[in-house]
Amino acid sequence: MPRVNFAILVLLLGTSVVAAAEPLRDVIDREVAKAWAEKGLEPAARSTDAVFLRRVHLDLVGTIPTHDEAVAFLDDTSPDKREKLIDRLLADPRFGRKQGDEWDMVLFGRNPAGYDTRDRPGFQKWIAERFNDNTPYDVWAAAVLKAEGNSADHGAPLFLVQYDRRPLDAAVAVSKIFLGVQLECARCHDHPFEDYTQLDFYGMAAFYERLRKVDLGTTRVGVHTNVKKIVVGERNTGEVLFSGAATDQTPGKKGEAVAPKFMQGDVLEEPELPEGVEDPKSFPAKKVPPAPHFSRKDALADWITSPENPWFAKAVANRIWAQYMGRGLVDPVDNLAPSNPPSHPELLDALAAGLIEHDFDLKWFIREITSSRTYQLGHTGSVVDARPRWFERARTRPLSAEELADAWRVATDYLSVRPDAAQRVEKNRFDPLTSGFVLRFFGKPNNGVGDFQGGLSEHLYFNNGQVTSLISTSKGGLYDRLAGSEEPWEQRVERLFLTVLSRRPKPAETERFVAHLAAEDDQQDRLREAIWALMTCSEFRFNH
Amino acid sequence: MTHCPTHEHLSRRSLLKGTLATAAGGTVLNLGSLFNSKAVAEAAARQGKRCILLWLNGGASQFETFDMKVGQETGGPFRPIQTKLPGVEVCELMPRIAGMTDDLCVVRSMRTSQIDHPGGIHLMHTGYSKTTGIRYPELGAVVGKYLGNPDLDLPSFVKIASNGDTGAGFLGPRFAPFSLNHSGRLPSFSKSNLDPALESRRHALRSFLEETYAEEHPAETSKMHREAYDQARRLQNVLDVFDAEEEWPRYKDMYGDSLVGKRCLIARRLVESGVPFVEVGQSGYDTHADNFSGHKSRVPTMDHAWSGLLTDLKQRGLFDDTLVIWMGEIGRTPRINNRSGRDHYVRAWSTALAGAGVKRGYVHGKTDEKGYDVVDGKVTEGDFFGTVYKALGIDTEIQHYVGIRPIPITPFGGEVKDELLA
Repeated sequence: MPRVNFAILVLLLGTSVVAAAEPLRDVIDREVAKAWAEKGLEPAARSTDAVFLRRVHLDLVGTIPTHDEAVAFLDDTSPDKREKLIDRLLADPRFGRKQGDEWDMVLFGRNPAGYDTRDRPGFQKWIAERFNDNTPYDVWAAAVLKAEGNSADHGAPLFLVQYDRRPLDAAVAVSKIFLGVQLECARCHDHPFEDYTQLDFYGMAAFYERLRKVDLGTTRVGVHTNVKKIVVGERNTGEVLFSGAATDQTPGKKGEAVAPKFMQGDVLEEPELPEGVEDPKSFPAKKVPPAPHFSRKDALADWITSPENPWFAKAVANRIWAQYMGRGLVDPVDNLAPSNPPSHPELLDALAAGLIEHDFDLKWFIREITSSRTYQLGHTGSVVDARPRWFERARTRPLSAEELADAWRVATDYLSVRPDAAQRVEKNRFDPLTSGFVLRFFGKPNNGVGDFQGGLSEHLYFNNGQVTSLISTSKGGLYDRLAGSEEPWEQRVERLFLTVLSRRPKPAETERFVAHLAAEDDQQDRLREAIWALMTCSEFRFNH
Repeated sequence: MTHCPTHEHLSRRSLLKGTLATAAGGTVLNLGSLFNSKAVAEAAARQGKRCILLWLNGGASQFETFDMKVGQETGGPFRPIQTKLPGVEVCELMPRIAGMTDDLCVVRSMRTSQIDHPGGIHLMHTGYSKTTGIRYPELGAVVGKYLGNPDLDLPSFVKIASNGDTGAGFLGPRFAPFSLNHSGRLPSFSKSNLDPALESRRHALRSFLEETYAEEHPAETSKMHREAYDQARRLQNVLDVFDAEEEWPRYKDMYGDSLVGKRCLIARRLVESGVPFVEVGQSGYDTHADNFSGHKSRVPTMDHAWSGLLTDLKQRGLFDDTLVIWMGEIGRTPRINNRSGRDHYVRAWSTALAGAGVKRGYVHGKTDEKGYDVVDGKVTEGDFFGTVYKALGIDTEIQHYVGIRPIPITPFGGEVKDELLA
């Protein structure tokens, strides 16, 4: 049994600021306001309905509302309309896909390591389902860490497939993603300013030394054919070798075997391997390899996902907070080291304790965050930081490549133009745009530390590229609806703004756009220009 | 510090005020060009140092270029020729460069760590070996970040027929390469197809939205987005810099009538217009078979283009501020295999530098008599990158951060080799 970290659990719950029945959203607002008072900060006013509508749509379902959805929400006068909207979006099947996209980037990124992980339809389907059926986080995280099932039908094993025969890299990724602990430094030397030793690192790597991916052939996942079916087998033998600090190493000197050891915890107690057990030289392809007598990776998965683990709940609470609020209480999100303390320590404890109490119910957690006053603040203010440290106003974040494509399709009524759109989108997420271009120009809009960076090429694409191909003149599209309408231009401009920016135009905007559109010359071009301007402007590019 | 102090910068914005006033009302097309006048362009071009990387993809042989081993079984069939430097010989495939060795700083003692192509291409573009979870920036992105002039209408990092594949890495899209293909064609979507009057009208409408938004959104993010949009439009003013067709007839003797020659001419046009980094690729050096005919068909072309480039830079007074690097990702084996080929080798190989910040007429390091090992003046990838940064006047102590992890600009373990520097 790994050491049970009662001390930390007691600390978490004992000093918890959660009163018995106080909803987490109120704890959030109280703790954040406490910091404002200490810092003498003035928060922004509550967001307008239109700002909230667009923000929460993008955050929960990864796209903007349709014209009719926008009108219905804006004109709804019931006081609980925001809560109803949040509930509706949490129940929308697109919720799973959006959250799946987020975790796909956490677990793989745009350029995943290793072979066989570039296309991930099986995993993406699986993770979306986990969010839609609200599988508790500890349960699905354990499935990922135990590599349950195969990579096409269940998806989960694909994460460890990335690190096939690279136990050191697996240890780095697992610690960082699931525990918020950055072990990289301890790869070559004891961590210079944290309490992680090089043996902590090799001890974690030892859990993954025996893994081998096995190819079972190909199968079909939805519209995707020839999807590789991979399982992760575990051998009975094999040790990770440690040959001392990089500076002390000598060529030819073989290292010593390091036993698996939980991070800053005990050495794994393993049952004796029965006599005469021999591993095959390698697992034969096309056959599910036999389970090992004792699985090291499963033991680590159980230790990581236990509510008693000192990092697990905090790491995910902080990560999801950052997803919605722009910045982790600990920033960067994957470094929960003592030298990098949280901005709101008591709040982070409360978020983690709440998750444990609610058995890692992520829908509940996300509902609490998005229902808080803090999340629903306006986005205007004098702070130039796109991710305000004290959450005194909403963050500004760029739309992801997936969100941009989804939002552009909604904005242009592309789904009405193409009856087969749903199928096309399943094949190419960025339809009708070329996925290679969209990923190249919008796939990674950040510098190394999470801040957006404008690039020349994204604007060349906006200005001279494929964006206009979305503005179809076919029946049912936004263009056709506006061009074919008999309504006065004022009303058409209102529809245009509601469809693309999910808000009504301001008087000055109506005036400017009517002047542009009502001119006698180049009517078709003018309408296209107006739609293009709204689709490419900063207001569209960002979620604020 | 390297780049010129702020007060010496030409301010695009201040210059723009004048030009924009004439465009008030948005009816006159104004792409916000800085370089309406040649004099302004020339003044801008004189600021700061630049770098051209001649990239020999596949890995050129040191034995068929700068480190001949005449009379040894590793030597190969070519003859050496005397250069301008007493006692220094190079391969007969490089007659023109032989005549310019008094401008070169040759390194005969490279010792690097990545022996295959993907690893080597990454290593010699970034100074670092590939690491899971970190996208290192290429040399061009780092140079763009520290030597780029944000007021320039042109991109700071241009590649022509090139091979590096990590681009700006963690430095982000702002420093991403702008890549021309093997014949110098512009990347997709560079050029506006709109009628200028229509483009202008569309721009005016979009600007109206942006101005309203900017008033309410002071976030850096939106500012950066607006600036990049401006840059995309301003690029339209300077697209002709990429087009060497008109100049080519007059220069093809100087650069040699080859694609590589033309790429080098484009590179010269770009650095002359203020672009701080251009990479020119030449491929086909991976001569596991027929190494000698392979080099015979490539080295002379590069010799002509390279010497033409150096000559042209000198004639235009750009040589002192432009560092020209000649290298590939690996060297080639001393042993000649049974297909008359040479395989990959990184224990001892050659690179060459010329121009800004480096010694002239200098040969650094030495290999043993058969070329198996470095016997003097070893230069690792870390040393090489540190030295290049210093030659360009970039602070070699800079640390970049990926999350909390510091990534020094001079790769771990690397040290600046002052012997190479002027």
